[in-house]
Amino acid sequence: MPLKSERIQIDNGIYLNLIYTDKFKSNLLSYYFLRPLSKDEVTKNALLPLVLKRGTEEYDTNLKIQKKLEETYGANLSISVNKRGERQVLRFTVEAINGNYVGDKKNIYEVINLLQSIIHNPTLEKGYFRKDYVEQEKENLKNRIEGRINDKRSYALDRCIEEMCKNEKFSIYPLGKVEDLQSIDEDILYNHYSDVISTSPIEIFYIGEYDDELIEYIKNIGKTERKDVLTIPREQIISGVQTKNMISEDLDVTQGKLVLGFRTGIPYEDRLYNGLIVASDILGSGPNSKLFRNVREKESLAYYITSTIYKYKSIMLIDGGIEFQNFEKTLDIVNEQLDEMKKGNFTEEDIEISKKSIKSSTESIRDSAFLISEYFFSQILSNDNRSLEEILKDIDTVTKEEIIDAISQVALDTIYFMKNSKVE
Amino acid sequence: MDIKIYENEKIKEKLFFKELDSGLKVYFMPKEGYTKQYAIFSTNYGSIDNIFTPIREDETIEVPEGIAHFLEHKLFEEPEENIFDKFSKLGANVNAYTNFTQTAYLFSSTENFYENLELLVQFVQHPYFTDENVEKEKGIIAQEINMYKDNPNWRVFFNCLRAMYTEHPVRIDIAGTVESIQDINKELLYKCYDTFYNPNNMVLFIAGDLSFDEILKIVEKTERKDYTKIEEVNRVFKEEPKGVKESFIEENMMTSTPLFYIGFKDEDVNLPGEERVKKDLVTNFILDMIFGSSSVFYNELYEEGIIDSSFGAYFTGKKSYGHSLVGGESKKPKEVYNRVMDLFEKDPQSILIEDDFNRIKRKNIGGFLMAFNSVESIANNFMDLYFEEVLLIDYLEILESIEYKDLIERFNKHFVKENVVLSIVNPLS
Repeated sequence: MPLKSERIQIDNGIYLNLIYTDKFKSNLLSYYFLRPLSKDEVTKNALLPLVLKRGTEEYDTNLKIQKKLEETYGANLSISVNKRGERQVLRFTVEAINGNYVGDKKNIYEVINLLQSIIHNPTLEKGYFRKDYVEQEKENLKNRIEGRINDKRSYALDRCIEEMCKNEKFSIYPLGKVEDLQSIDEDILYNHYSDVISTSPIEIFYIGEYDDELIEYIKNIGKTERKDVLTIPREQIISGVQTKNMISEDLDVTQGKLVLGFRTGIPYEDRLYNGLIVASDILGSGPNSKLFRNVREKESLAYYITSTIYKYKSIMLIDGGIEFQNFEKTLDIVNEQLDEMKKGNFTEEDIEISKKSIKSSTESIRDSAFLISEYFFSQILSNDNRSLEEILKDIDTVTKEEIIDAISQVALDTIYFMKNSKVE
Repeated sequence: MDIKIYENEKIKEKLFFKELDSGLKVYFMPKEGYTKQYAIFSTNYGSIDNIFTPIREDETIEVPEGIAHFLEHKLFEEPEENIFDKFSKLGANVNAYTNFTQTAYLFSSTENFYENLELLVQFVQHPYFTDENVEKEKGIIAQEINMYKDNPNWRVFFNCLRAMYTEHPVRIDIAGTVESIQDINKELLYKCYDTFYNPNNMVLFIAGDLSFDEILKIVEKTERKDYTKIEEVNRVFKEEPKGVKESFIEENMMTSTPLFYIGFKDEDVNLPGEERVKKDLVTNFILDMIFGSSSVFYNELYEEGIIDSSFGAYFTGKKSYGHSLVGGESKKPKEVYNRVMDLFEKDPQSILIEDDFNRIKRKNIGGFLMAFNSVESIANNFMDLYFEEVLLIDYLEILESIEYKDLIERFNKHFVKENVVLSIVNPLS
């Protein structure tokens, strides 16, 4: 059955997206708030959801919220802050059991109310957020920002992006900066919150079973008084190499992390973007890829080595975990394989395999309520009106020439290497 | 055909089963309307099975650390074409994992399911090891081991197990060490393979919008017929002394804040299947009630800034071992430890409240049902329970049967001072 979404405007800049399905044992409701990714507000935006989930007017402590979630058959509340290109996205989601399975049809209303009040009715003190909550969450956010280093692989990827795009907003870390925290207090954060609520574009998603009554209910509680809603500009796509950096960071680690950052200059609106997706897949995604075969299987240099396209910013990153002394050797193989791609030295079979793999993961979206909401949200962000079926068809019709064309535009910009000089 | 069908009205799911002549068990859960298909072929063999009597031999042997995981990597090798390539051509995603007690091979697909299934059964049942391909794998696995060495969460976890257990092989890292894998050779790999990859020691589980008849046809046609049926593998576990090996262990490494685990070793082991699963649930209920995000303890320490949302607790138990782990990130791990120990001094009735119990039970029921949304979680839950001799479809009944009084009894038995370990990973100074 094709995936269909109905999009209803419920207020100025607020849309409700409905996807009906009875396939799952639960229903999912998600709110996405969009903000420009900017140095001025990134840290405040990251802090906001942490403070909001501490208490509502009715449930003024985390303890009470958690108890409520458990009572509603373990409804799942999840909150995230990340970046989509040069937009910072705050997400609030609840997923709860479909009442039919537990003989409690009102369950969903309880859960919706809870999410709604976390977003719109926070617990307040003298008209602002509670000071103790703000201070505690500032400390927690600080720890999370500093904790980036714990996951060496994603840290290395982030660092490469930071260096490569240092003159672009895309370099901003979506959880913000420790230095900003000091200047944020409960009134500054509350004023910012009012701004976020009244000026952010908001996309609401409901995936599951519903009737008219439920929809009316969600529509009504989703309304807020709105002034001017922000227009967030599309990311700048830079095709030329900007910095040509070689960054090496010395840390106390056992394994080296190599990240290569490439400019592609191909925006997602471009027909050639599909060719780029396939090219990156042939090069370094999955066990059939050129990098896996040559770096891992043939030379035993790495356990993982992959290539990824960052959709909104049109950059490509290749990353692998290697021994420190294998830096040059790995770099040579990657360059060699990239050249092979540019020369068209890959087979029709390679193309077919990659297309199949891309299509299969795209199709699998249908089996997860969360992925369905993420997918439709991403379609909205990129102004893409194609259906899932059309997207699959577009991947299918990519030609070898387009793949060569796309990969030929790829240019190495920045090399990041994490090493340990004590071991060398 | 001798097919058994299990049905559960509450869950609204069905489970099909057939045992083949070879001893291989095949289970299937239909998921109508699902795009994805999922198959997992698993053997009752993990990193803890390191002392055993090889098939057709009389003496037990002790094998190098990490061999079950090494074997998992090597099964992907074929004389001509690589197995990854074959699955890729059919549009499937193939993968495998090894844990303490199982080795599993799996794929997910959205098309060509039956061809992929044929390939799965075929490659897992046809080992191909050469001196050369075994040597080559050592470099790749060494990189995998090194990757984990840089992961502070993994380190604080294994340090905790190493301190808790004196003899039990659960203290050994699943992938072994860069040194231990050097002793692995093709003869040893075949020995492990022939012993543990016997159909009678294996199970195949499938979920998706598929036909069981078709599945059985493929499996019966493809499976190897030349196995000698064995009843059970003779596995030996050295006697594990009571109490813990060390009560404190710490290490410094590249991390931002200290990480810690407080481990409680379980001595109530070797229970039969259903009782074990029940014990598992009861212990996790207790942990959730006293350490979960709706507990007084969690909220007090959170507000004091001693713990953050990374704090949590769970119990994991298999036939021969079990432990509760309480942990997370904290600037004051020793303070958390002291507070945890104070809590266990209290009268269990005062910290285990009946109302909390009922709520946690509701949460577990909801969570269990919601896990049926995804073919992956169905398959993973099925496998974990299967090796505990319980069928996924019967789990809800066990969950519902738990009573408040079960908790008190277990609390007094499990949380004793002699069995506690504190493991800390500190940032480099």
